Amino acid sequence: MKRRHLPALLGVAVLIAIPLSIRNSFFLHVCILILMWTVLGAAWNVLGGFAGQVSFGHAALFAVGAYTTIILYLKGGLAPWWGIPLGGLAAALVSVPIGLLCFRLRGPYFALATLAVAEIVKLVALNWESVTAGSVGYLITTLPSVRLFGLSVNWEAKTPFYAAAVALAVVALLTTGWLRNSRLGAYLVAIRENEDAAEAVGIDTVRAKVVTLALSAFLAGMGGGFYAFYFRYVDPDAVAGIGLSMEMVFIAVVGGLGTVGGPLIGAVFLTAVAELVRDRFQMGHLIFYGLFMMLVIRFMPEGIWGRVRRLTAGATAGA
Amino acid sequence: MALLEVHGLTRHFGGVSAVSDLSFSVNEGEILGLIGPNGAGKTTVFNLVTGFIRPLAGAIRLDGQSVVGLRPHAVARRGIARTFQIVKPFPGLSALENVTLAAFLRHPARRDAEAAATAQLTRVGLGGRLNEIASRLTLMDQKRLEMAKALATRPRLLLLDEPMGGLNATEVDDASDLVRQIRASGVTVVLVEHVMKAIMRISDRVVVMNQGEKIAEGHPKRVVEEPAVLAAYFGKRVA
Repeated sequence: MKRRHLPALLGVAVLIAIPLSIRNSFFLHVCILILMWTVLGAAWNVLGGFAGQVSFGHAALFAVGAYTTIILYLKGGLAPWWGIPLGGLAAALVSVPIGLLCFRLRGPYFALATLAVAEIVKLVALNWESVTAGSVGYLITTLPSVRLFGLSVNWEAKTPFYAAAVALAVVALLTTGWLRNSRLGAYLVAIRENEDAAEAVGIDTVRAKVVTLALSAFLAGMGGGFYAFYFRYVDPDAVAGIGLSMEMVFIAVVGGLGTVGGPLIGAVFLTAVAELVRDRFQMGHLIFYGLFMMLVIRFMPEGIWGRVRRLTAGATAGA
Repeated sequence: MALLEVHGLTRHFGGVSAVSDLSFSVNEGEILGLIGPNGAGKTTVFNLVTGFIRPLAGAIRLDGQSVVGLRPHAVARRGIARTFQIVKPFPGLSALENVTLAAFLRHPARRDAEAAATAQLTRVGLGGRLNEIASRLTLMDQKRLEMAKALATRPRLLLLDEPMGGLNATEVDDASDLVRQIRASGVTVVLVEHVMKAIMRISDRVVVMNQGEKIAEGHPKRVVEEPAVLAAYFGKRVA
């Protein structure tokens, strides 16, 4: 067990070393994006990868987190380290009724229901102007002045955000690691393999799925909260769009469904590919992004991390 | 008192009545054969009793307590386990993982659950294939796995849906011995089966269904001679 955690921990250690050695702010920005996507990919992965419940609406949970965090800050003056977990909590609370409703459906019907929920959330965000400021959105102009270890935190630098992103990514990956070894995790795999058989042996499949969705929502909501503080701007298109939901699916799939390290690997590859092609080709960079996706899915259906793990497992077994 | 009592059980699918006004009871410690031609509603009875389908009318009581309206996992918790006619393993998991998932119902700690699962797999004859992936097992072994999973939930009542379908003569004998041995361990068994040789040999009693209704009930040897049963299986001219 411990040895299987090693690569993930090693990856995180490398990410901790990065800001200490490299002082390129764009590079750090890319790293922050990677870590944020890791959190979001991990959020999607616990539900989609372990339980096999494909959601096309995770942007809704991201949006709830983003709005909660930014509103608590702008209207209540609540600092990020309270606001971000509360954003996660709000998303988890919202996810429970959504789960009870959508989990009555299975397979593609569930996926379509989540898509509809995300559209509803986006419309609510657009039209409930007294709370969400509608299409105008919220803007953070100043961040709180904070002193840490006697030094005032410089919000204009990337480093504080980088530290926060690392913390969130570690939480997300540890949660996934815990889940994999827990009884709940085993139940989710049973649900993915055969839902009727899972019920037949006494697994409360609806409860397991609702609890997992809440966990997934908590991570996605914290990702949303982080986004709000990092980009300092929240509006319906930015945080509740379908593109965001899709991105979470892609990261989990490319990285490796139902694995712990998968979302990190998926986020590294997809963010790198996206930034590289965006740099080279102003127009149509999404074509290359899509092509990369298709190649991975065609030749590594178990995901990059899933393939690596299978190969290394084979090598140790053969030795 | 009977362990399982079914009274006036009714379920239609659209205009087709799958089970209508069916009543029977299962005594503690017996092996009850539930037989009838294809489409008689036997599997539907299992689906109704285990909560996969809700009845439109009727009562189902385990030990005097109603289980109508409970979801399948809750029925399993009460002590009714089932196997599926078309086996439903967790295909990508090993035999041990399959049965451990079922053993979690009574053993929350993984180590205990794995020990219990190993014991059940050994009992059904899969002790040497613990780490075999379920989808790679032969049909006979998948049926054994199905039984081990059901047994791992520590049921009082076990519903077996055609555990011998598709098996050869030796395998049928093995399966018959296994069912007898399960009963000897204190588990009451209801058996849906088309393999008449096995039904005749191991059932204490049989209930015969046709088109959703009970047409006969009693000792296996006598029931198969009843005209209604012969008519259901072979047509009225034979009877």
